Amino acid sequence: MLLSVLLPAPDVRPAPAARPLSRRPRRSLRWVEGVSVWLVMLLLLFVHPLYAEAADEPRPETGASFHFLSADGRWQAPAMVLTTDYRVTVTGMVAQTRLRQEFANTGREWREGVFVFPLPADASVHGLTMVAGERRIVGEIQPREMAQRAYEAARDHGQQAARVDQQRPNLFTTRLANIPPGESVTVELQYQQLVRYQSGEFELRLPTTLTPRYMPGRPASNPSRQWQEGWAVATTEVADAERISPFTVATADVADASHRARVAVTVNAGLPVARVTSPSHALTTTWNGSAVTVTPTEELVTMDRDFVLRWQPVRSAEPAAAVFRETWQGEEYLLAMLVPGLDNGQWLARELVFVIDTSGSMAGESIRQARAALLEGLATLTPDDRFNVIRFDSETRSLFIDSVAASANNLARARRYVMALEADGGTEMAPALDAALGSEGTPGLVRQVVFITDGAVGNEAALFARIRNQLGNSRLFTVGIGSAPNMHFMREAARYGRGTYTAISDLATLAEPLAGLFGKMKAPVLTDLQVQWPGADSGEAVFPRRPGDLFAGEPLLQLAKDKGASGELIVSGRLPDGSQWQQPLDLDQAAPGSGLHRLWARHKVDSLQDQNFDGQVSDAVRREITGIAVRHQLMTRYTSLVAVDKSPARPLEEDLVAESVPTLLPAGSTTGMLRYPATATAAPLLIGLGLTGLMFALAATMLRRRVFQ
Amino acid sequence: MSRLILLLLVVSAGVLGAGLWIPLKALVAQELLTLAWAESEARQAQIRPWPWADTWPAARLALPAEERPMVVLAGAHGESLAFGPGLVVAGERGRGPVVIAGHRDTHFRALKELSRGAQVRLQHPGGRWQGFQVVGTRVVDSRYEMISTADLAEDVLLLVTCYPFDSVDSNGPLRYVVEARELPHIPAGSTPLVTVAGQ
Repeated sequence: MLLSVLLPAPDVRPAPAARPLSRRPRRSLRWVEGVSVWLVMLLLLFVHPLYAEAADEPRPETGASFHFLSADGRWQAPAMVLTTDYRVTVTGMVAQTRLRQEFANTGREWREGVFVFPLPADASVHGLTMVAGERRIVGEIQPREMAQRAYEAARDHGQQAARVDQQRPNLFTTRLANIPPGESVTVELQYQQLVRYQSGEFELRLPTTLTPRYMPGRPASNPSRQWQEGWAVATTEVADAERISPFTVATADVADASHRARVAVTVNAGLPVARVTSPSHALTTTWNGSAVTVTPTEELVTMDRDFVLRWQPVRSAEPAAAVFRETWQGEEYLLAMLVPGLDNGQWLARELVFVIDTSGSMAGESIRQARAALLEGLATLTPDDRFNVIRFDSETRSLFIDSVAASANNLARARRYVMALEADGGTEMAPALDAALGSEGTPGLVRQVVFITDGAVGNEAALFARIRNQLGNSRLFTVGIGSAPNMHFMREAARYGRGTYTAISDLATLAEPLAGLFGKMKAPVLTDLQVQWPGADSGEAVFPRRPGDLFAGEPLLQLAKDKGASGELIVSGRLPDGSQWQQPLDLDQAAPGSGLHRLWARHKVDSLQDQNFDGQVSDAVRREITGIAVRHQLMTRYTSLVAVDKSPARPLEEDLVAESVPTLLPAGSTTGMLRYPATATAAPLLIGLGLTGLMFALAATMLRRRVFQ
Repeated sequence: MSRLILLLLVVSAGVLGAGLWIPLKALVAQELLTLAWAESEARQAQIRPWPWADTWPAARLALPAEERPMVVLAGAHGESLAFGPGLVVAGERGRGPVVIAGHRDTHFRALKELSRGAQVRLQHPGGRWQGFQVVGTRVVDSRYEMISTADLAEDVLLLVTCYPFDSVDSNGPLRYVVEARELPHIPAGSTPLVTVAGQ
């Protein structure tokens, strides 16, 4: 051990300073010389193997993954610097975003950049422009295979090209070929989305990163040994795992200016806005007449969390209904919103099943939020209710074999259980859904499942199918956790589960969204919703085709394509006490809207894809989707945006290096990928310095003696 | 001139003392931790070794070169590593992968001596010993590689320390990783230290 080498040191250390210098000079001189020799030897012991070379023999099977490994197996530092710019204009219920991604190549080779990024769950992407220097190339929608061929041909011919593919409804990939060394190329995307309105508050969410997703299933038979875009390989359940698993790194691991975003949101709400808030960022707000311009206080925000913006209309001006109309290519598109504004004051006796995700992706801040959310949920139980707590990671375990009465005793036990929960392991969600939805439930009680998760899974479609098939009389509510939850999962799981969803972004502000959710869970206020459009059958052109149940504070949204609809829309439904409820909505008072046809097209495409869960859509449906997408210039799973510059940029004798631009680890997350901890102390340095100093001091003393003798 | 020399002497002695304090602290802390471990075993609770500690003994690790097992602390933040190796990834109820990190200059200096085939043992709270056999060592660059906990095998034990062993740089990027796999059975009669709890 180190200390055994050092132990002789204490006998010698105090001596030099303590010994008087004048008496018996010769003897003390010899003594000092002896000490010096010992010190030199000690020093040699320390410094001798100082510059040992590190031998590298990477062995990936220990579970470590490699980044930025070039073809010849050498480390290469990331050369791509990414800056993004979100410019959002909200008009009424529709938010139009221009997203700029600038890729700067700081390396010496020509590069191809690949970047996997999230967009809002209901974004309809409809425009791509590539900006290289002075040149602006406008992209177009093409069937995915065609776009891929066009892009690859351009890349191999040295032309600059950009392509954007949809991997999941909220997950996209940008590819940018032939970025010159030392220069930057910008990809400009246009997309629009609906703003969420509930309980008198509008909400807009701009995701900037994603939580690394768990890929269930066994690795597919022949993993390709080529350049990998992601850290995961295709599995039997997630065939495109490598395409949706970008490397996720800590903020400190990317270049200083990389992964920063500029955000500017202009809100033209069309009604007086009382206040604008954000649970995720500090805001600078500028009021300009009825429009509000909002930017984060920091000019450049780190892309490690969703940007969430909420605005509330002045209390008396809360909308109860709204109709927007757009004429596009001779067709009328309508967006109708109706807030029933009902609240049933009664509590139903319930059976509540809490399901909490304790997988590795929840580690850190997320699991604390999840625990707090669950405790909050337990606090809403009344003695008439029954409940159970199920946790899942690689395995599913439940606290009680079956639901138990919410007695003080059981609740205390549940609280202790919840507080001890830690996050690690995989995200095998299917067995947890089986456990939560599978049991029959207690007669006479309303069965509700609260699913608390970050949704970091790759097999969403299979899970939705499970929810739909097993739901029975239960309802499923989802609570999104963390800085970058998979909101597509939250929204769709709640839709198939006939429930509603919410998201928590931080521990300090989780009470409000949760109170909203648990309030809604008391009971749906309106079931068996029917919407009657004026005129003959417009059933084929109205989305969502079968509106789900409405909960307190939620609006009913309808998108329709119609040839000149006028008159009244009649919405009817059943109240919790069994009586009928009905409300008309005058379509003639519609305000002009823009981009409604794209929203409609996106809903149409979604409904076509919903017909099949396993991702295998028949050729006819596929052609239909492609047709709609090309007509409305919309990106879908089968159509991509591609822009190709005709003139070649890269001399063909120079190489092109592909580089995956990583995404940032969501803030507060200590997910799956762990950094190696710092495991060295300053001890050797301090000891070495101390010994050297002592040696110099002794040498100086001896010199002085010799000189004066 | 002699003042200068005296100053140099005092400063150097101070620096040397500070340098020696680190291994000394590591030694003394292990003594306190052993007591805390025995107490936590006896009372089946997490006992803090000293009142202001932000960590507690989580396991014990027996390396072949050491005659006594080392107490491993929960977590591996900078402060706790000064007192003992830290449990970075802990298996649940004695199953699943375990990753332990320790300071190269103190507790984990002995990792240098571990070679393929050497046996390492780990004691979990509750007294159960788990045997591991070293299957390999390697050097990784922590700037480019991370531990992917999801991909670790169920029966793996990773011991991590800094590399090179004799470097004076305390912020170097290289790490030395010893990988060990669980042995089906621990050799009989291998409970070396009787704790207060009597195992």
